[in-house]
Amino acid sequence: MSFDLGGYISGAAYLGAGISIGFGAIGAALGMGYTAGFADRAISDRPDRSGDIFKNMLIGQAMTETAAIFALVVAILLLFLKFGTDNMLTPYALLGAGICMGFGALGSGLGSGFPSAYACQGMARQPAVTSRLTTDMLIGAAVCQTPAIFALVVSFILIFAIPQGVSFSPYWAALLGAGFSTGLAGIGSGIGGGMAGGASCEGIARQPDSGRAATITMLLGQAVAQTPAIFGLLVSFVLLFGSYPPAEDIIMPISLLSAGICMGLGGIGPGIGNGLTAKEAVSWVSRNIYEAGLITRTMLIAQAVSQSTAIYSLVVALVLIFVI
Amino acid sequence: MEELGYISQWTVKLFGLNLVFNCETLFMSWLVMALLIVFGFLAIRKISIIPSPLKVIAELFVDTFYNLTKDALDEEMAPRYFPLICTLFMFLFSCNMLGIIPGLAEPTKDLNTTLGLGIMGFFIAHYSGIKAKGLKRYIAGYFEPIFFMAPLNLIGELAKVVSISFRLYGNIMGGAIIILVVSNLLYSFIIPPFLYVFFGMFIGLIQAFVFTMLTLVYISVQVK
Repeated sequence: MSFDLGGYISGAAYLGAGISIGFGAIGAALGMGYTAGFADRAISDRPDRSGDIFKNMLIGQAMTETAAIFALVVAILLLFLKFGTDNMLTPYALLGAGICMGFGALGSGLGSGFPSAYACQGMARQPAVTSRLTTDMLIGAAVCQTPAIFALVVSFILIFAIPQGVSFSPYWAALLGAGFSTGLAGIGSGIGGGMAGGASCEGIARQPDSGRAATITMLLGQAVAQTPAIFGLLVSFVLLFGSYPPAEDIIMPISLLSAGICMGLGGIGPGIGNGLTAKEAVSWVSRNIYEAGLITRTMLIAQAVSQSTAIYSLVVALVLIFVI
Repeated sequence: MEELGYISQWTVKLFGLNLVFNCETLFMSWLVMALLIVFGFLAIRKISIIPSPLKVIAELFVDTFYNLTKDALDEEMAPRYFPLICTLFMFLFSCNMLGIIPGLAEPTKDLNTTLGLGIMGFFIAHYSGIKAKGLKRYIAGYFEPIFFMAPLNLIGELAKVVSISFRLYGNIMGGAIIILVVSNLLYSFIIPPFLYVFFGMFIGLIQAFVFTMLTLVYISVQVK
C-alpha cells in the first residue's frame, strides 16, 4: 500500500489554513461593520465632531481586526512553512491549530467591535470626554483579545511543538481536542467581554463622572467572563502536555477528543451569559455610582453562579481525560 | 524554536527528595523584589515640602490603591488590607514590565508564580471571611441557596484560584510566545518593538490591575 504522508500533511495544513482565516474573518468583519454603522449614526448627530469620530472609528476597527490578523498569521504559517514528513501526528496538529485559531478569533473579533461602536456613539453624545472614551475603548478592546491570544498560543504550540516519538493512537485525538477546547471556549468569552466593554463606553458618555468606576467594573466583569476561555486553555494544556499510554482501541482517543469538544462547547454559553451580566452591571454603575460596590459584588456572585455550567463542562472534560 | 516552553531548572537531591528550582523565575522575582525595596528606600529618603519625583510616583500608587481598597471594603478595614493590595500591584506590574528589557524575563511567565499568588489570595480571602463572619456563618455560606449546592460552591471557589492565576499566566506567557515566534519569523527585524509595547506595557499593566482588583474583590465578597 502506498501511503503518502507528505500529501496528507500538506492537505491538513491547507485545510487548517482555510478554517483558520475563514472562521476568523467572520467575527472581526461583523465587529468592524458594527463600529462603522455606529460611527455613521454619530456623525449624522454631530457633523462638527466628524473628525474625532472618524479617527476613533479607524482606531477601533484596527483593534477589532487584531483577532483576524492572528488568524491570518496562522493561515500563512500553515500555507508556507515546510513541515517534516516523518511524523504521523503532524496532520492532526496542523488541523487542530487551524480549528483553534479560527474559532478563537470569532468571539474576540465580534466582541471588540462593541466598545469601538459605543465609543463612537459616545463622542457624539458627550464630545468633552472624547479622549477618555478612546482610552476606555482601547482598554476594553485589548482585554477582549485575551481569548484570541490564548487561541494563538495553542496554535503556535500545535504548529511548532508537535510531540515526537510517541504512539500515534491517543495523541492524534489529544492534539485535535486541544484545538477544539481553546478555540470554541473563546467564542463566548470574546463576545461577553465585548458587551461589558461597550456598556462601559456608553456609561462614560452618559455620565462622565462615573469614568473610573465604570472602567473598573468593566475590567472585573470582563475578567470573570473570560473564565470559560481560561478553562478551555487549561483543558488544552492538559491534553497537549499529558502523557498517555498507547491505545489499542478507539475508546481512549475518542474520550480525549470529546473532552476538548465538551469544554469548548460548554464554555460558549457561560461566556456570553457572564458578559450580559457584566454589561448590565457596568451600565447601572454608571447611572448610580454611589452603589458601585454593591452592584459589583452582586455581579460577581451572579457571574459565579452562571459560571457553574462551565465548571460542569470542566469537570466532565477532566473525568473524560483522567478517569476513562 | 527550542526556547518555546523551555524552563531552566536546577534539581537538588536532599534527603531523598527531588527539589526542583526554576532558576530564571526565582532570580527574576528576587530582582523585582530588590528593585521595589530600593524604590521604597529612595522614595522616602528625603522628606521635604517639595517631593522628589520618586516620592510623587510612590504617592500616586498609595493614593490610587488606598481609594480603591476603601471603595471595595469599609473605611475601618481598608488600612489592614491596603498594604497587601498596593504591594501586589507594584510587584505584578514590575514583573510584567521586566520582559521589555532584553535578557530579562517576566517571572509571571511561569505558572508557579501566578498560582502561588492566587493561592495566597485564596487563603487571605477565606481567613478574612472566617474572621469577619465567624466560622459558623462562613460554613453556612457554602450551603446557600440549598444544601446540596455545597460541592458546587466548593468547586466554584477552587475554580476562582485556577482562573485568576491562569488569566495572568496565559496573557503574559502568550505575549512572550507570540513575540518569540514573530521575532524568529521576521529575524527580529521590524515588528517586535511594537509587540513589546503592546504585550509588555499595555496588556501587562491591565492584567496586573485585574489580578489585584480580583484579589481585593474576592476578599470583599468574603468579608461582607
